[in-house]
Amino acid sequence: MTARFKDRVAAALADPVLKLAIDRTTGNAERKRAAAVADFPQFGAARARGQAIKDHVIAHLDHYLEMFERNATARGTQVHWAADDAEARAIVTNICLAANARRVTRSKSMLGEEIGLPHALADAGIERVETDLAEHIIQLAGEHPSHIIWPAMHRTREQVAELFKTAHQPPPAAEDPATMVQSARRVLREKFLSADVGISGANFLIADTGATCTVTNEGNAELTTTPPRIHIVTAGIEKLVPSTAHAFALLRLLVRSATGGEMTQYTTFHAGPRRTGDADGPEEMHIVLVDNGRTKMLANEFRDMLRCIRCGACMNHCVVYRQIGGHAYGGTYPGPMGSVLTPVLDGLAISRDLPNACTMNGRCAEVCPVGIPLPTLLRAWRRRSWREGLEPAPVRAGIGLWAQFARRPRLYRLATRLGLRVLRLFGRSGWISRLPLARGWTDYRDMPRPAAKSFMDQYRAEQRARK
Amino acid sequence: MTARDRILSAIRATLGPGKPANEIAVEAALLLEPVDTARPALVAPALPDAFAQKAAAIGTTIDRVSGMAGVPQAAARYLKAHGLPPRLAMQPTPELSALDWAGITPSPQIAPDEPAALGLALWGIAESGSLVIHSGPGNPILMSFLPLHHIVVLREATLLPYLEDYAARLSPQQVPRNAILITGPSGTTDIEGSYVRGAHGPGFLHVILVSGAG
Ligand code: SF4
Repeated sequence: MTARFKDRVAAALADPVLKLAIDRTTGNAERKRAAAVADFPQFGAARARGQAIKDHVIAHLDHYLEMFERNATARGTQVHWAADDAEARAIVTNICLAANARRVTRSKSMLGEEIGLPHALADAGIERVETDLAEHIIQLAGEHPSHIIWPAMHRTREQVAELFKTAHQPPPAAEDPATMVQSARRVLREKFLSADVGISGANFLIADTGATCTVTNEGNAELTTTPPRIHIVTAGIEKLVPSTAHAFALLRLLVRSATGGEMTQYTTFHAGPRRTGDADGPEEMHIVLVDNGRTKMLANEFRDMLRCIRCGACMNHCVVYRQIGGHAYGGTYPGPMGSVLTPVLDGLAISRDLPNACTMNGRCAEVCPVGIPLPTLLRAWRRRSWREGLEPAPVRAGIGLWAQFARRPRLYRLATRLGLRVLRLFGRSGWISRLPLARGWTDYRDMPRPAAKSFMDQYRAEQRARK
Repeated sequence: MTARDRILSAIRATLGPGKPANEIAVEAALLLEPVDTARPALVAPALPDAFAQKAAAIGTTIDRVSGMAGVPQAAARYLKAHGLPPRLAMQPTPELSALDWAGITPSPQIAPDEPAALGLALWGIAESGSLVIHSGPGNPILMSFLPLHHIVVLREATLLPYLEDYAARLSPQQVPRNAILITGPSGTTDIEGSYVRGAHGPGFLHVILVSGAG
C-alpha cells in the first residue's frame, strides 16, 4: 500500500476543490469547539472524569458486558456477540433474511462501516437506504465516509446538487443547502415508513438499564428505528457505561468536542421492543456486540484507544488531515484516531504509512476529550513496524548507515560538512525546490537551504572566539 | 466455543480475576462525585428562566402562559402566526385532551407530512433546554418526528436543573422502551457545514411553558 497511500495523498493534494471543502468544515468545527470549551470552565474537570469513567469500564469490561446483556435481555432485546467483522455481518444479514426484509433503513454508524455492513446488505440482495443526509450523499456517490462526524464533508454544494439532480424525482429546484435538504427530506420520508428493518449504531450502551444511547441532529435515527418491524443495533464492546448518569457525563464532552454544541438535538435511549399498549415501535430489537480487534487492544499497548468516543476533534485539528482529507487514509476511520485504529483493523503491513504520516505536533492529544495520547500510540506503531521489519529497505539501510556514522563522531562531522556543501548547491535563493532522492518532500514544499556550516562547526568557532 | 465465550475469556485472560460487583458499583458511583465541578453552571437562578434562555439559544421558540387552560389559545396563536390551518395532531394523553380546544380540531392520528403536532413533555432540563419524552400508550414516538412544526407543552413544575436529575428519576429496571431528549429543532450541517433546519424531524420546535398548578 506504500505506493497507493502516496498516490492517494498526491491526488488529494492536487485537488483544490477538496482543500476548500475540508477547510470549510474543519475550520468551522475548530472555531465552534473552541467557543464551546471556553463557555464551559469545568471542561478540564469533565475531561478528567470522562477519562476515568472510560478507564473504569475498560478495567471491568467483562463485568459490564454481562450486566448489559442481563438487563437488555430482561427488556426483551436479543443480544448477539460477534468476535470479528465477518461474524457481525452474518448476524445482521441473517436477521434481515429470516424476516424476508426487502428494504432496510440505516442511520449513520461508523461501526457499521467498520464491519462492512453496507456491502454485506447489497450482497444479500437487500435494498439499503442511508437516512443520515451525509450518508445519503455518499451512498448516491458510491463513496465511503471521509470524516466520522461529517461523512460527506469532501463534497461541495455544487457536487451534491449534481448528485441530487439525477437521483431525486423531481430534482431540487435550486442548489442552496436548504433546498437540497428539503429535497432529501421528501425523498427519504416514504422510505422510512416502508422499511422492514432499521439499523442503527450506539454511542453508549447503558449497563444498568440495558438501553442503547444514540445521538443525532437530524431526527433520522428515530424515523429509522420506530416504524420498521425490526430494529438492529451494532455496537463495539467498548461503548459500555455503568449508568445513564455516566453517559451524560460523557455526552457533555462528546457533543462539545464534535460540533461545538452542548447537546445534540436528539439523544435517544432504546430499551427493547414494543411493549403492550405502546402506540408504535419495533416488534423485535436486536443488539450485536462486536469485538473486531478490541480485546486485542485491551491486551496490548493500544488499550488507551478503547476510550475513544468518536468525536472527530482529533481529525479537525490535525494538520495532515486538513491537507489530505479522509479518503487518502484508506481505512474506515481517518485522521489521528484512524491512524491508530486502521493498523488494528486492517493490519500494520498494509497501513504502516499511516503512523508515519504524522508530524507529532500533539494537537490531537490536546483536544481529545478523553485524554488519549495519540502521538504516543502512533510512535508505538512506528516502533512495531520497525521491529517487525515492515519498513522498506531504503529506510532501514538509511538509518543503519546513519547509525554507523553516528557511532563515530569525527567521521560523522566530516560527513555532515560534506553533505552541507552538496545541499547548498541545490538552493540558490535560500530554498531548495528540487532535490534528487527526496521528491516526496520537495514536490509539495521547499526545503530551506541549509546553513553554510554545521551546528558543531559553528559551536566550535563560537567557543574559540570566546577564548 | 461461542463468540460470547471467546470475547469474555479474552478479556478475562487480560484483566485477571475481577473485583466483587458491589465494589465495582461503589467505584462507579464515586466517579461522578463531586458532581458540580464537572458540569456547567445554570445560566439563570430560576429554572424557567434558565430553561427558556438555553432553549432560545438553540432555536426553540417559547411562549410562557399561566395555567394549563391557556394552552389551547397559545397553540392557536402559534398556528395563526405561521399561517397554518387550525388543526393539530395531538398526543393522546388526558392532560391535553381534557382541555377546551374550541376552534382547533385535534386528531390522535398523525400523517407522514403533518404540518403541526402537539405533545406534552414529561420533564424539561434547565441545563441544556432539553425536553424529555417517553414512549408509551399515551405517546406515539412518531408524533414528535413527522410534523414540520412540533409544539410541546412543558409545565414549570416539571423542570429539572441538570441531566443527572433526570437520570435519578429513572428506575433502572423500569426504563421506558424509548426515551428521547429533544434539544432544539431538527437540523443538519452535512452540506459544507452550513446549518439547515428541518432535516428529517421538525424544522420548528415551539415550547408552551406553563406556570402555576392549573
Ligand atoms: S481519539 Fe479522542 S479526539 Fe479523536 S475521535 Fe476519539 S475521542 Fe475524539
